[in-house]
Amino acid sequence: MNRAFRYAVEQSLVVPCGAAIALVWANWRAESYFHVASGLAFAVNDVGMALFFMLIAQEVLEAAMPGGALHTWRRATLPIVAAAGGTVGAIAVYEAFVMSGDERLLVGGWPIVCGVDGALAYVVAQWLLGNKSAARPFVLLTVIVSNAIGLIAIGFRQQSLSLHPAGPLLIALGLIVSAARPRAGTGTMWLRIAAAGTMLWWGFWWSGLHPALSLVPIVPFLPRSPRATNLFSNGRHAPHDSPQHVEHVLRIPVQIILLLFALVNAGTAVHGLERGTWAVPVGALVGRPVATLIAVITSVGFGLRPPSGLGWRELIVVAVAVSCSFTSGLFFATAVFPMGPVLVEAKVGALSTIAGALVATSAAWLLGVGRFEHRGRVGARVRFHEG
Amino acid sequence: MKRAWIVLLLLVAGATWAAGASDLTLPNQAASLKFAAIGDNGTGEAPEYDVGRQMAVYHERFPFELVIMLGDNLYGRQERGDFVKKFEEPYRPLLNAGVQFYASLGNHDNPSQQAYPLFHMGGVRYYTYSKGHVRFFALDSNFMDGKQLAWIESALRQSQDDWKICYFHHPLYSDGKTHGSQVDLRVLLEPLFVKYGVNVVFSGHDHVYERIKPQKGITYFVSGAAGQLRKGDVKRSDLTAAQFDQDCSFMLIEVSGDDLFFEAISRTGATVDSGVVHRHTTP
Repeated sequence: MNRAFRYAVEQSLVVPCGAAIALVWANWRAESYFHVASGLAFAVNDVGMALFFMLIAQEVLEAAMPGGALHTWRRATLPIVAAAGGTVGAIAVYEAFVMSGDERLLVGGWPIVCGVDGALAYVVAQWLLGNKSAARPFVLLTVIVSNAIGLIAIGFRQQSLSLHPAGPLLIALGLIVSAARPRAGTGTMWLRIAAAGTMLWWGFWWSGLHPALSLVPIVPFLPRSPRATNLFSNGRHAPHDSPQHVEHVLRIPVQIILLLFALVNAGTAVHGLERGTWAVPVGALVGRPVATLIAVITSVGFGLRPPSGLGWRELIVVAVAVSCSFTSGLFFATAVFPMGPVLVEAKVGALSTIAGALVATSAAWLLGVGRFEHRGRVGARVRFHEG
Repeated sequence: MKRAWIVLLLLVAGATWAAGASDLTLPNQAASLKFAAIGDNGTGEAPEYDVGRQMAVYHERFPFELVIMLGDNLYGRQERGDFVKKFEEPYRPLLNAGVQFYASLGNHDNPSQQAYPLFHMGGVRYYTYSKGHVRFFALDSNFMDGKQLAWIESALRQSQDDWKICYFHHPLYSDGKTHGSQVDLRVLLEPLFVKYGVNVVFSGHDHVYERIKPQKGITYFVSGAAGQLRKGDVKRSDLTAAQFDQDCSFMLIEVSGDDLFFEAISRTGATVDSGVVHRHTTP
């Protein structure tokens, strides 16, 4: 079991496995599934996921440090523009699709298509274009910027029913405790994180902010070191193998939370597909890649240069690879819609964006790039025209 | 001569149509509460108008005072003119007779409908009202947030009425092939319905008529074919008490003492299901 779990962690299979189990369970024994899922939803989505977002924030901060994969703004500008453009395009297409029908309840669901499943996009891009491809940091930054836009959008949505005037005060107290200089030892650090984290969580909850983001403000005060390698990899990297680093300590607990997240949120009875189910994949799989490419073309027109080794064909594949909302879409869906059929529509839509991986593979095959570089007459023809 | 024949034929057709509306199975008592239920009606197309006419014919003999609307009250565009075409015109005779409509919201409904005076929603997504010894609870099943759940629990707890009737768009139990049971909603709502003694639940969404065998003491109806229809879209299961998916339909209900009589009627005026739900009084 332990070996199987470790393999799933290493291959980024935890979430897909959890989602598959949830889907089978929800369509086989729906009542028992929804009893369990509704009982766990708050603990997983609003409490457990706070650790996940803390970990992500820590990873991003380290990647942005000197020597990190995202260091220097010059290097990062094009993917940031591409991500912002892609997200705007995904939102625009989602809203246009919703407005063309009569389910206006879905209008507020646009943050769902801001979500890009980072692990999935990374694995797909790596598998298609190779380990050493310059596509990796490009994908990485696109994922971060897109999800950040979604997180900002949901962060300010009213999440709690029990607003309390002590909320902002607790946030301020939590920040002060986070910033306090550690006097000694790992134990003190964890005590500080626990105290500040509790205050921040209640502060967010009582202020109407999304509590899953409550541990992010702690991150700048945590010990860290630059991280030049794969953001989503779990390989050993010496400076991080230290109990001083939360990402090392929390790696397995967070994977368990992600498994529970997929179990709790991915289970939906798949029948009677409504507009919301289509709006999410249309926004993600059509709007995002097209707008990403338009943003890249425009940026290049303004003098930005794509990363060396990334041609137009590779960029097309990358633009499609970052269209999978999947887990992120599930999270944003649960954040923007309360329980009910509209949420189910959106969740099925988010799950279906996993098809983006297949589309990216097809695009790579058709364009003859990466692992398909020497295959296929179509790819050869495209390369000829391109040349 | 030819014109006379045509007039005669039209009279015979009209009489036959009216006769179809005569097989009322309800007791039709003077002091009872009488109401109708329609769901998924607001298309503005011929079937909705046909059902509206049939309801008006029945109203002549069975003077129901209100209509509960089970969601998808208007499809497509929902501008002012659409409210006329898709609601006011099909039910003009009933509105003129003083029948009041109490709407719940479906997934095709613009939330702004809650401000439309003829839907009596009072500007809110979910609400309650009573008629005689019956209390109605209209819910918004699109978004079952914590606030609404807390509200329905409080409202049910406070209700001292003999009959508690809930209605909303998405069915907790349904054999509809297209949508079926909304189990995620069921696990949230059913425990409250059982705990606080809800007697009957009406829903739409599946464009058929179905009566479900009592579940944990509660009778569930799906009546989502007052304008839309999915022919052949219902399957039989252990839940099924009665079904009709061959034509559009609506329901008439009469509450008298501890009995709730119901009759499901097709667009042509045929009775497709009828019966009585008896309220079990706790000693």
